[in-house]
Amino acid sequence: MAPKSDLLQGTLDLLILRTLSTGAMHGWGISLRIQQLSRDVLQINQGSLYPALHRLEQQGLIEAEWGNSENNRQAKFYQLTRDGRKQLAEETRNWERLSDAVARVLAG
Amino acid sequence: MIRHLSVRLKSLLRRERLEKELDVELQYHLDMLIDQNLKAGMSALEARRAALRVFGPISSIKDDVRDTWLSRFLETAAQDIRYGVRNLRRNPGFALVVMLTMSLGIGANSAIFSVVDGVLLRPLPFRNGDRIVVLRQGQGDTVANNIGFSPKDIVDYRQARSFSDLVEFHNMFFTLLGRAEPERVSTGVVSANFFDALGVSPMYGRGFVDADEAQGAPAVLVLSYKYWQRSFGGDPRIVGQVFRMNDRPHTVIGVLPAVPQYPLDVDVYMPTSACPFRSNPRNIDNRQFRLIQTAFARVKPEVTLGKSQADLDILAARLAKEYPGDYPDKNFHATETPLKEDLTRNFRATLLILLGTAGFVLLIVCASIANLLLARMVRREREFSVRAALGASRKRLLRQLLTESLLLAVAGGVLGLVVAWTTHTLLVTYAERYTSRAIEISLDQNVLLFTLVVSVLTGLVFGSVPAWSTRLDVAPALRDGGRSTHVNRGLRSTLIVGQVAASFMLLIASGLTLRSLMKLQSIDPGFRTENLVTLRADMSFNKFPLSMDRQVRAQRISQYWFEFEARLRAVPGVTEVAGGGTFPLNERGPFSNGLQREAKPLPPGVQPPQVDYRIATPDYFRTLGQPLVSGRAFTTADTLGAPGVVIVNETAARHFWPNEDAIGTRISGGTNAANEPVWLTVVGVVADIRQQLDQSPRDEVYAPLRQFNLFNTTWVVHSTRPIEQIARDVKTMAQAHDPELPVASFRTLAEVRSSSIEKPRVTTSLIAIFAILALIITAAGIAGVIAFSVNQRTQEFGIRMALGAPRVGVLGMVLREGLTLVAIGLVIGMAGALGLTHMLQTLLFEVRPTDSLTFLAVSTVLLMVAVLACLLPAKRAASVDPMVALRAL
Repeated sequence: MAPKSDLLQGTLDLLILRTLSTGAMHGWGISLRIQQLSRDVLQINQGSLYPALHRLEQQGLIEAEWGNSENNRQAKFYQLTRDGRKQLAEETRNWERLSDAVARVLAG
Repeated sequence: MIRHLSVRLKSLLRRERLEKELDVELQYHLDMLIDQNLKAGMSALEARRAALRVFGPISSIKDDVRDTWLSRFLETAAQDIRYGVRNLRRNPGFALVVMLTMSLGIGANSAIFSVVDGVLLRPLPFRNGDRIVVLRQGQGDTVANNIGFSPKDIVDYRQARSFSDLVEFHNMFFTLLGRAEPERVSTGVVSANFFDALGVSPMYGRGFVDADEAQGAPAVLVLSYKYWQRSFGGDPRIVGQVFRMNDRPHTVIGVLPAVPQYPLDVDVYMPTSACPFRSNPRNIDNRQFRLIQTAFARVKPEVTLGKSQADLDILAARLAKEYPGDYPDKNFHATETPLKEDLTRNFRATLLILLGTAGFVLLIVCASIANLLLARMVRREREFSVRAALGASRKRLLRQLLTESLLLAVAGGVLGLVVAWTTHTLLVTYAERYTSRAIEISLDQNVLLFTLVVSVLTGLVFGSVPAWSTRLDVAPALRDGGRSTHVNRGLRSTLIVGQVAASFMLLIASGLTLRSLMKLQSIDPGFRTENLVTLRADMSFNKFPLSMDRQVRAQRISQYWFEFEARLRAVPGVTEVAGGGTFPLNERGPFSNGLQREAKPLPPGVQPPQVDYRIATPDYFRTLGQPLVSGRAFTTADTLGAPGVVIVNETAARHFWPNEDAIGTRISGGTNAANEPVWLTVVGVVADIRQQLDQSPRDEVYAPLRQFNLFNTTWVVHSTRPIEQIARDVKTMAQAHDPELPVASFRTLAEVRSSSIEKPRVTTSLIAIFAILALIITAAGIAGVIAFSVNQRTQEFGIRMALGAPRVGVLGMVLREGLTLVAIGLVIGMAGALGLTHMLQTLLFEVRPTDSLTFLAVSTVLLMVAVLACLLPAKRAASVDPMVALRAL
């Protein structure tokens, strides 16, 4: 596994949790949505996306269920658990604090 | 708990499904990418290529995903172990008690298993050892009545087409000269292809080849590993050295590796041509000269054991028919027994009993530790409640509990290996008395694996009991202020009942074997053992060469021992001297031969019944204190020139002379060169003695040493001097008598007697150790459970006493609680013991498996120990100060 910085991994987790907060979604959907919402700035590499999804699942922050996709194929849908929601709230707060702080520093 | 296990199990089994799901999940993503590209107007091929490019290497994605599965598991396990270790270190006393108990339980099992593995389980260290069979011929049960083989028999049985190799073995004692002292060596006389048939190659030098077995070939020797180590310090330069044996030079050509020797441990091997008896042309042609004790054969790969036995049946029937005078007339058989079975025939039952008893100990240990853990759960309830309140799932807590149990079990297992290691030498020495496979016992990876598996299983068993029986909830413990009663009391009681029952059965096993041993020890064998020293003296077979005139040679041999006896009597401090071919309790048995009465001729073709022939000097019976019942003992007048005389024992007298006086009648035990019976007059009847402590007397005929040519003699001297001094003086005397005469094996008869029951002694001790261990653990368990219950009921007792209940009443109440459990356990144990003790039959001597005295004694001991175990906590309950107890409410 290529080494990844904690910041990036944490950020990806946050993005996934946020994306799932609107409802259950499969991996493809999640990557599309993040791309759309970030206006193509963030392109999620599947090499990072799937390990992250499985890790979050193992941690009990998200849970998965098999269902039919929009084009009527079997797909694995992820959704937030209660723990996941709590984690999202906390991580969001942390992120806001951090970006706030960075913005202030940059504003001088 | 079950659910927890099933979750873990599922996740292991689920692995395959997880992989498949991952495939589908990633494929979906890839397909969607391709779809997108198609919509963007790419060709199918382009779309696919582009998608794959974006997607990246699928296998590495999979690896990363798999890592998340694994790391999660390991992370939790590491966390549990860290937490478990910390927890156990906080309670070092508890951890120590559990680990020590475990180590004893596991150690006992590992130690016994190492013997079972070495002796019973592993394949023979011979090439295709399962195809080697032992051949015997005789009447009926041929293991007991094996009459041996004549050289002609071997030639005939080699015709059996089922066998690829058929080799012979007999054991002789020869004198090896050329070292500092003449040495008596136990010699295996074997066919040239003996080692090839077994599939053993010498470690140094070479084995025998056909040329070595040719008549007149230069004599050669192969040394056994043990003898080589013992006498030559394992020096490989031994190969090529020359020693004198039987008046010929013998060259050492090889050394065997450390393999079990069969049928017995010998010092050296020689080919049949080197044995002066086996190679004597007169003997080779004599079908009744059955010197060869055992034959081995290798069953051809394509032949089943049943088929080869059928072959033997046909050959045996043909021999009996063709040479009617030379074979037993009735029920004559030749049989084969797989070597592996034969090697451990006498040990298997004992060993399995020991393994069973060790297993019982382990069960008791498990129950006892489960009980300790249950009690501990109560104290830890707060901890678990807090953890549950902080969000730990029930599954997580169960897992934590199990991890701690496994930690304890594995630590106990490691300590158990130490226990097994310390008892290793003792057990090997013990096993050596039963089987030559003892050499294969080692604490190897099989034992390690066994220990590991048993440890983990025990850990799972005793760990799952408390985990299963506890609710692991948040609420009750916190609500009740940490005083909880919901740990299952019924379960704890059941465990105690089980422990008591199992201990009872072990104690019964121990009691029965102990009583058998006591009977063996206290048995009066019919002769005295005090102040008697035994020794053996083995004349070289060629001291008086066969080339001499027969009469003269016999005369010289007779004179040789007569002089030896006189010299022995002259040794300072020696007051009595008995000589013969063997002595009571000696491992070496007597000769066996037919007994025919002159007055009752047998019909032609009928073989005379076999009896034991023993050789004795005139003072033999007086020295051993074996009373003469009637007639006379041998005298110095019973020489070769005088009429042949014998003395019979009471059993033989009863048997062969039921309503008449044996004295004065004549019997025959064999024929002379002209094939005429040699008649011997019965001159006396001696009292029966036990030649082996556990065997009742057999028919015995004694013949005088002076009328019988013996090469290997044993002597018993009476003296009050220390054995070391006797041995030194006798050796000096023997040097003067004949510098080439080895005298050795000096032992007191008392020591011989003691060592003859060493096997039952060790077996009994092992079972006793197991039983005592079980009793101690169980007593501690009872005390623990009662103490715990007293603790829980302190307030109740306080109230009772405040309301006027006498202290004795409280004491009785607690005692009653404990003893009820013990009584139930005792009844169950008794039922179990009655059902199981018949399996101990092989270990019992003159004690019935349902011996009421043993059952009574064991019940009493167990009850007394149980009362003591209950009394301590009960007294504490009775000494509760009502005021203190009530205030604590």
